[in-house]
Amino acid sequence: MTNQNDNKKHHRDIFIVWALLTVIGVLVGLYATPWLMPKSASHTMSMGILTMVIFTVAAAPVAALVYAVCLYALTIWRHRGEGVPADGPAIRGNGPATVLWLVGSTVLTLFLLIWGLGLLGSDQSAGAKASIEAANGGSAEITVDVTAQQWLWSFSYPGTHVKSLDLYLPVNKDVEFNVTSKDVVHGFWIVQMGIKVNANPGVITTTSVTPDKIGTYTIRCTEICGLDHAFMMTKVHVVSEADFQKWLASQPTRI
Amino acid sequence: MSRSKTIGVALSSVLLGAGVLSLMGFGLASAQPHQPALTATPTGTRGHVALTISVYPDSQIGGNRGTGGAHPDWVSYSNDNLVVPANSVVDMTVKQYDTGGELNNSVFGNVFGTVGNTMNVNGKEVSSWDPTSIGHTFTLRGISGDGTRLMVSVPIPFDTNKGAENNGGGVEIAPMIVKFSFKTGGKGVYQWNCEFPCGGSRQGQFGEAMSTYGYMSGTLTVK
Repeated sequence: MTNQNDNKKHHRDIFIVWALLTVIGVLVGLYATPWLMPKSASHTMSMGILTMVIFTVAAAPVAALVYAVCLYALTIWRHRGEGVPADGPAIRGNGPATVLWLVGSTVLTLFLLIWGLGLLGSDQSAGAKASIEAANGGSAEITVDVTAQQWLWSFSYPGTHVKSLDLYLPVNKDVEFNVTSKDVVHGFWIVQMGIKVNANPGVITTTSVTPDKIGTYTIRCTEICGLDHAFMMTKVHVVSEADFQKWLASQPTRI
Repeated sequence: MSRSKTIGVALSSVLLGAGVLSLMGFGLASAQPHQPALTATPTGTRGHVALTISVYPDSQIGGNRGTGGAHPDWVSYSNDNLVVPANSVVDMTVKQYDTGGELNNSVFGNVFGTVGNTMNVNGKEVSSWDPTSIGHTFTLRGISGDGTRLMVSVPIPFDTNKGAENNGGGVEIAPMIVKFSFKTGGKGVYQWNCEFPCGGSRQGQFGEAMSTYGYMSGTLTVK
C-alpha cells in the first residue's frame, strides 16, 4: 500500500513538472521561435516561421516529459548513500504506457509528415507557376540569373541589358532564380525570404520566391567555399515596381 | 574521490579547456593577415586620399613584401593591408605588371562602384574592358558592422607586350596604369580579392594565390 501511495505521489509530481515544462516549451515555441528567426519578407519565409512555431509547440510536451523524468530521477530518485545501490525490479508489460507512447509518436510523426509535405507541395506549386509564367513571357514575372564565384554574387536580368553585383527585386512579383557557379559549390540563401539552393558549377538550379515587403535583405553563402566564405554576402533591395523599372533604366549597358 | 577533490578536478578541466580554446583563438587571430598597413595619403584635394598598389606575376619582384613569401612563384599584389579614412574619396592607382587571359565570368570585365562607374587605363577613360584581355581585377566588397555596403570592382587589363620578369628584384617593363576613384562610407573592414582565375590548382583556378592571404586578396580598413 505504501509503495502504491509512493508511486502515485511520484506520478503526480512528475506530471506537475511535465505540465510546467510543457507550458514553458509552448511559450518558447510561440514567442521565442519567431523572435529568433529572421523577419519574413516572403510568404515562403512566413510559412517557414509558422512551421518552426508549430513544430516547436508540438515537440514541447514530448521534450518536457523527457526532461521531467530526468530532473525527477536526478533529484528525488538520486541515490545518496555510499556504494552502488541494488537494482530495482524490472518493469515489463506496461500495456497502457506502450500504447500511449506508440499512438502519441505515430500521431505526432504523421502530423509533421503531412504538414511538411503539404507545405513543400504548395511551395513547389508556386515555383512551377513562376516557371510556367516565365516560359510564357508573362509580364508579372521576373527572371534573374544568379552566378556565384569565390567570393561574390553577380546577377543578370534576361531580356534586359542589366548586369549587376546588387540584386534588386520588385515587391509582390514572382521571381525565378537560375542559380549556378563558376568555380566551387556555393549556397544561395536569401535569409529573410526563406529560400536556399546550392549553386553548383556547370548546373543551373532553379528556385523562386515572391518578395512581399519592401526593404533591404541579405544574401549569404551557405556552403563553405574557401578563404572569404564568411564574407560572401550581399544585399537584396526589394522596391516598388516603379522604383524597380527606374533602377533597370538607370543601369549602364555592360558587356 | 572526495567531493571537494571531484569539484576541483571538474573546475580544473573546465579552466584547462577554456585556456586551450583561448590559445587556439589567439593563434588563429594572430595568423590573420597581414603585411604592414599601406595607409592612404592626402592628395591635397579636400576629402581625397591616394593609394597606389601593384600587381606582379611573381611575388619575388614586389608582391608579398617583395620577399616572395612562402610561395615566391605565386602571382601577388604588392600590399594586402590597405587603410583609408571613412567618408572620403580614394584615388587609387594599380600598376599592373602581369599578363592575363580570359575571365571566367565576363561581368567582371565591367567597372562597378567607382566614381562615374569608369576607370582610366593608360590615360584612357573606359567603363569596361575586353573580358578576354584581363590580367586581374581589384574587387572590393563587404558590409561593415553598421550596415555600410562597399562594392567596387575594376578589371585590370593585361599588358599586351609581356609580363614582368624577375631580373633579380627589378621590373623590366612599363606597367599598365589603371586609375579609379571610389567613395568610402562608414568605418569597417572590407575584403578585396582578384576575380580573374589566376590561382591555379582547384576547380575554377581559384586556389593557391587566390586562396591565401598576402597574395591576391586582402583587406581594406576604413577608419
